[in-house]
Amino acid sequence: MPGFAPVADLPPRKRYESSSNMTPATFFSVAAAAFLFPALACAQASAPVGDAAAGSQKTAMCVGCHGIPGWRTAFPEVYKVPKLGGQHESYIVKALQEYRSGARSHPSMRAIATSLSDKDIADLAAYYAGPVSKTASK
Amino acid sequence: MKAIVKLLLAVCALCSAAMCAAADPKAALPRVEQVCQACHGMDGNSQIADNPKLGGQYPDYLAKALRDYQSGLRKNPIMAGFVDKLSNQDIENLAAYYASQPAVVVTKH
Repeated sequence: MPGFAPVADLPPRKRYESSSNMTPATFFSVAAAAFLFPALACAQASAPVGDAAAGSQKTAMCVGCHGIPGWRTAFPEVYKVPKLGGQHESYIVKALQEYRSGARSHPSMRAIATSLSDKDIADLAAYYAGPVSKTASK
Repeated sequence: MKAIVKLLLAVCALCSAAMCAAADPKAALPRVEQVCQACHGMDGNSQIADNPKLGGQYPDYLAKALRDYQSGLRKNPIMAGFVDKLSNQDIENLAAYYASQPAVVVTKH
């Protein structure tokens, strides 16, 4: 392969240069990173997976508005509440997280979302994004 | 008296025409083609999971979302860049356009 010297062709001193130059500080940084990386990866992986069946049991606070075709909000502005059936799961997760954090501001949605755990949000999103019956209102 | 009533009626008619200009979905088409469809699709059936599907959504909800992006009440750096120059009529037209597409979102009980 042009431009790529096989290790065996290097003089012996050169071959071990990089490891002999490693200061203790560098060594510990690398070692710490090696231990931390899997820990961070685990933290990422522990975001709850949505369970649509569990979500279907958690809709009590949702159906009063989102389960009625054409239902309108009353405060602070009047408009029809969005249809959720068939919406993207990750968009619903994001919307609920934003209501919970206050990034989105609807008063009722904020109150409801602050009562939800990450697992509740994942389950509800999986339920609403999941299959829609043929009788669902367009 | 009759003149006053006529005048009032005329003012009312003018106001209501100005406030609820009829939404024209077709007028939104150029903007949908140039801007919205890249993330939401021409028919509002967004293929990107983080971006909401809009097809068949209620027009007043879509209009509210756009107005909230415009006022900063709802924050999204991408949407904020697009809604800046929209007039009220543009917003009504866009909302009517996506609401009139085949429903990909439905009311689920």
